[in-house]
This record gives sequence, C-alpha cells and structure tokens, in this order.
Amino acid sequence: MKVKNLLTYCLISSLFLFLLISIWKILVTLQGIVLTNFNFNNLYIFGIVLSLLNLLIGKKFNLNVKVIILSFTFTIFDFFISVNLPIWYSFGIFLVSVFFFNTIKNYDKIFLSKNHSSQQLFFKFLTFFGITLFSFVILFPFYMMLITSFKTQALLLINPLDFSINFTKGIPELFKSYLIVFKDYNFGKYMLTSTIVSLGTVIITLVFAIPAAYAVARLNFFGKNFISTSILIIYLFPAIVLVIPLYTIFSQLGLRNSIEGLLIVYTATTLPVAIYMLQGYFKSIPKELEEAGIIDGQNWLGIILKIILPLSLPAISSVALYVFMIAWNEFLFSLMFLDRPNSFTLSRAIQFLNIGAETPRQYLMAGSVVVTLPILIIFVYFEKYLVSGLTAGSVKG
Amino acid sequence: MASISISKVNKYFGNTHVIKDVSLDIKSESFTVLVGPSGCGKSTILRMIAGLEEINSGTISIDDKIVNDLPPKERNIAMVFQSYALYPHMTVFDNMAFGLKIEKKSKEEIEQRVMEAAKILQIEEYLKRKPKQLSGGQRQRVAIGRAITRKPKVFLFDEPLSNLDAALRVQMRVELAKLHDQLNATMIYVTHDQTEAMTLANDIVVLDHGIVSQNGTPMNLYNNPENLFVGGFIGSPKMNFIDSKVLSKNSESTEVDVMGSGKLIVPKISLNIQEGDAVKIGVRPEHLILNDKSGALWESKVFVVEKLGSGTYLYLEKQGDPLVVQTDGDTDIKVGDTIKIGFDASRCHLFESNGNSFKSI
Repeated sequence: MKVKNLLTYCLISSLFLFLLISIWKILVTLQGIVLTNFNFNNLYIFGIVLSLLNLLIGKKFNLNVKVIILSFTFTIFDFFISVNLPIWYSFGIFLVSVFFFNTIKNYDKIFLSKNHSSQQLFFKFLTFFGITLFSFVILFPFYMMLITSFKTQALLLINPLDFSINFTKGIPELFKSYLIVFKDYNFGKYMLTSTIVSLGTVIITLVFAIPAAYAVARLNFFGKNFISTSILIIYLFPAIVLVIPLYTIFSQLGLRNSIEGLLIVYTATTLPVAIYMLQGYFKSIPKELEEAGIIDGQNWLGIILKIILPLSLPAISSVALYVFMIAWNEFLFSLMFLDRPNSFTLSRAIQFLNIGAETPRQYLMAGSVVVTLPILIIFVYFEKYLVSGLTAGSVKG
Repeated sequence: MASISISKVNKYFGNTHVIKDVSLDIKSESFTVLVGPSGCGKSTILRMIAGLEEINSGTISIDDKIVNDLPPKERNIAMVFQSYALYPHMTVFDNMAFGLKIEKKSKEEIEQRVMEAAKILQIEEYLKRKPKQLSGGQRQRVAIGRAITRKPKVFLFDEPLSNLDAALRVQMRVELAKLHDQLNATMIYVTHDQTEAMTLANDIVVLDHGIVSQNGTPMNLYNNPENLFVGGFIGSPKMNFIDSKVLSKNSESTEVDVMGSGKLIVPKISLNIQEGDAVKIGVRPEHLILNDKSGALWESKVFVVEKLGSGTYLYLEKQGDPLVVQTDGDTDIKVGDTIKIGFDASRCHLFESNGNSFKSI
C-alpha cells in the first residue's frame, strides 16, 4: 500500500461524501427544517474513518453487506450528533451513504498498492464531483420554479423560502396556478403561437439548409470555399446590433406583430448554423453511395431524398431540435417586434406577466414551467435519433 | 452485348494531365482488366466509361454510339465499387431493387430479377438483412447482385476485391470468372493486383502514368512484354533486370555480356542498337536455371530463402537489386550458400536504355 494512494483515497473519498451530505442538508433546509449545527468537522473525520474501515475490510465478506453495515454506522453516528431531526432526514442520510459506500466498495489494500491507483481514484471522483455538482446547479433552479408554481399567494407571502410541497389540499388546488395561467392569461394561445413559429422556423430552415449544405459539401461552383467559410460570419454581428435596423425595416414593411416577421428573423439567424452542421455531416457520407445512386439512374433530387436524407436523419434531427429550441426560447426579437398581446410568443408572454407588479409569482413560475416542459419532452423523445452510426455497413470502415 | 471504343481521350484534374491520349478497343463479351500502379489513371478511365467523370477531349462509344454527353443511367452500365457502396438504410433486397424501382418496373419483375441475381450469387437467405449485418464477402456479393439485376450491357468493377482478405479474394476471383461465363457480358475490371489481372482477363491493358503501356492477352503480356514497365509489372515475383551491354549483333540474335562473367546469345534483335550500347537483360525468376553445370554463367551467395511449399525463392547478391531465382519447394539450399546460375537464352528479354524491348525473330 502506498502512502500517496492512501492519502488520495482518504481525502478525496471523504470529500465526496461530504459534498453529498452537504447537498442533502441544503435540500433539507429548504423543506423548512432548521439545522442548528451542521457538524461538518465531525462528519468529515468520521467519513475518513469509515473509508479506512472499508479499505481494511476489503473483500473479506459480501460487498453488499459491507455497504449496508458501513452506511448504517454512518447514519447512526449522524443521528446521535444531530439533535431532534425527523426520521426521513436520517433515511436520506442513509441513502446518500449507501450511494457513497457503493462507489468505494471495490477498493481494498491490493488496489491501493498499484502504481496508478491515485490517478484512477482522482479521475473517478472528479467525474462524480462534476456530475453531482452540476446536476445540482442545473436542477435546483428548476426545482425551485416547479415548487413555487404549486404554491398559493398566501403561502408564498408567509415564507418565501419554504420549498416544500403541500399535498394535502388535493390536485386541483395544487395546479391552480396553471389553470389560471391558461384561463386568465391566455397561455394556450401563446403556446400555439410559439409552436407555429418554432415548427415553422424548423421547416423553413431545413428546406433551405439541406440543399444549401449539400451544395457546399458536394458540388463544385465558383466561390464555394468563400461561401463555406463565410457561412458563420452572421454571428459576428450581435443580435442587439441587428435588432434596431430590423425594427425600422419591419415597421415600414408592416411585419411587426406578425408571425411571418418572426419566421424571417428566426430562419435568418438559425440558417447559418444549420448549414454548417449539415454540411459537415454530408461530407462524412461516402461519395460512392451517391455515385452508386447515379449509376442506378437516380437524379439529383432523388439522391438527396432517397440516399442523403435517410442517412442524415441523426444530423437533421439534431439540427431540427437545435433550431426548435432557439426559436422557442428566443426572446430579444420577440420583445422588440411583438407588442400586441394577440401575437405574443411564450417567452414574450412571460416577460409581459412580469411587468405588472400585481402578477403573483406562482403564475410567473407556472408560465415558466409551461415554456420549459415542451422542450424537455421533445428532447427526451428526439434523443434516440441523435445516435450516430447509421452509415455503419455501407463501406468498409 | 456491347463493345466499347475509347478514342484519343484526355483528362485533366486541374493542371494535372492524368489520361494522355488513350485509345482502347474493348471487344463485346470480353473480360478486360485495366491494371497498373496507383495513380496510373485506371480508375479514372473506368469512371469516364461510367460517366462519373467528364472527358476533356476524345470520344467514348458504347456499341458505336458516342456516349460522351450521356448521363450514366442512359449508358446501360452497372458499376461495382471497391467500398461496396451499399445503401446502409435499405435491406439487401431493396439495395438490389433500387435501380429497377427507378426504372419503374413492375413489382413481379423486380421480384423475379432480384431473386434470379440472388440465386446466381447465393445470397437468397440474406435478402431481408441490412448491409451492416453482412460480412465483407457477402456485401461484395450484394454489390455485384445490384449490378446484375439491372441487366446492363457493360459491367464495370473498380477494385472490387481489394477490401477482402486473401482467402476470400481468391474465392471471389473464381466466382467472378464463373459469373462472366454465365452472363456473357462485357466486363471491365480495374485492379492493381497483377495476379487478378492474369487470372481473370481475356485482355489486359497495362497503364502507366496515363498512357497505355501494352494491351494484349495475359500470356502475350507475360511472354512478350513490349517494354521494361510491362516486363516488371506482369509476373510474380517480378522479372529480374540485369544491366548489360551489347557485345555483338547480327540479323537473328544479339550477344550480351552477363555481369562480366559470361556471354549470352539472345535470339532477339533491335534495329536501334549498336555494339557497345547499354541494355538491360530481363529474366523471370522461374526461367533461371539453378546449378547448371554446363551453361553456368554466374555465381553468387544466397542471402534470403523464402519457402512457399510449392516452390522456393532464393535472393542472390548482385549489384543493384538482388537476383531472385525460383526453384523446387524441397530444395536444401541455405542462406550463405554459393550457387551457380544458368540462363535460358530463349526466355531472356532484352530492353533498350529507353525501356523498349527487343523484337523476337
């Protein structure tokens, strides 16, 4: 056993346990429990002791039994040093420690006597740290949003920092904010507008981007290199620079407050990236496939429709997803161009909700959930199309 | 079927002149192999016949009809690619039926033609699979099947076997030869492998830097190479070349020096050569005579022995490239032995310093 490996193991593993426990304690505080003493020092030292114990036991008996015993010991210890806490708190501690001891159960003295153990340990825990920390950072605001949307005005005023859910009043009461948002604030219509604008942008962008990307990837024409490298130049101009001239132009053309106007702007801003992403993928499709298509008597359009498109499905769906998200979440242009509530998109509508000081916060949060949820669902559904490897088997690779 | 005539064709890629004034006649129902080292333009010629590559000047005709400006589908050709180029998102059946569907053939006819081709190639049981579920050899069969279903006048093969492993390559080679007999189609085949060329072809076209070096039957190329390049390219292991000079000449033969240790009277002549000119003797490893007591002209040390079972290759020390000799499989010559070599004058070739070969009388 090497000293360096042992030190790395003790410090990193108990630090990880410490992080997990801290996150649990933060969550517990949000449930309205007042922690008078966090006991971080004791927990950290006891964590080191248990990690060492885990090491000494090694693989002498069943690993799962070991995990349960160590977790139980840790929970008991925590139970005695923290006073007057509900039983579900300790149960949470137990689950967290089961997760922790499960990750370290395979380490024993033999592992630590190997040369690269400390590096392995370091990178393994770095991954865990990363995943835990960033999921917490990402998920916590979303959690807050969700919880607030389930509250009533009175509850929010009594304790704005109470993040627990009260299930006792029944489902209709819980979803009251959502009902109001849809009924009184017309979110159904905004949602429809947003859907039309986003889907429209996706369709128009793809209709233009696919032939353009194919041309840049495959055809030889004058200025091809210039075009393929200058596609992304539009991103040199920040949207805020473009928005004022566009505002004047759109006002004169009567495109303000119209879905068409938004479609034009959104397509223009997403097209370059769409072309760029697609042309990269098209280039990776073996040219022989197209030549085989030509020999088989297929024309140019047929080759795109019957060979290129089916093979590019992963790329096309990720581009579609990307464009949809941009269009759905876009705010600056919709803020500038839309000022009549009957043409609002969702993001603009939320901002509109926020203007009046009298709009209760739970409605705002319910609106935000309504904006976020479709994107989440679409992402989960489309994710299976994002797999690559569809070209496997066409050519020897 | 169809004959193909290529006349004075030139092709440039940018400023590179890749095909230089090539003229070729490919007979109907022949199996013609275009062979040459990488970059000699053989694939380009094939792609020009297919219509995948434009021609800068000259004409290509199929059955006496100039096809320069016809798109590939109107040339009635089918092509098999080195990388198979199967459509990965379609089943084997759909891959083979793709061209027929574009031609708007009836369902029954498509079915019948695909089954026919599948039967010839013995791939009936794979018809419902996707290409990625097949092995390399099976994929190549499907690629050939896709060509067969369309019943083209001309089959074009672009190095179809080079992605297969050695055993499979030999097997597919035999099957291709069989296929040619069955279909009686005109086939043009590109390869850099001279063994494939020798075994498959009725006609071999040897290409070198965009020009036709020699064109003829395999045995003609083997026995009468017109130049140094063809002599060196056809035959395995390759022909030995020995620097030499002309000692004397008459109307029937030429006497040359063999590495300062002997003389050889070769029954070949050239009008451009004077006494004392530098020439090269070309002699194949299988035509050198080992331990020839009477006519031995030269002796040297063996430094590598390659045993193949059916034969043995001996590498002898010589100025420049080593001299390779082929002998029996069960020879007991070892590395370090000194052996005597005799030359069979009637099987030796002579090449002028510009590479052209002497003529037989």
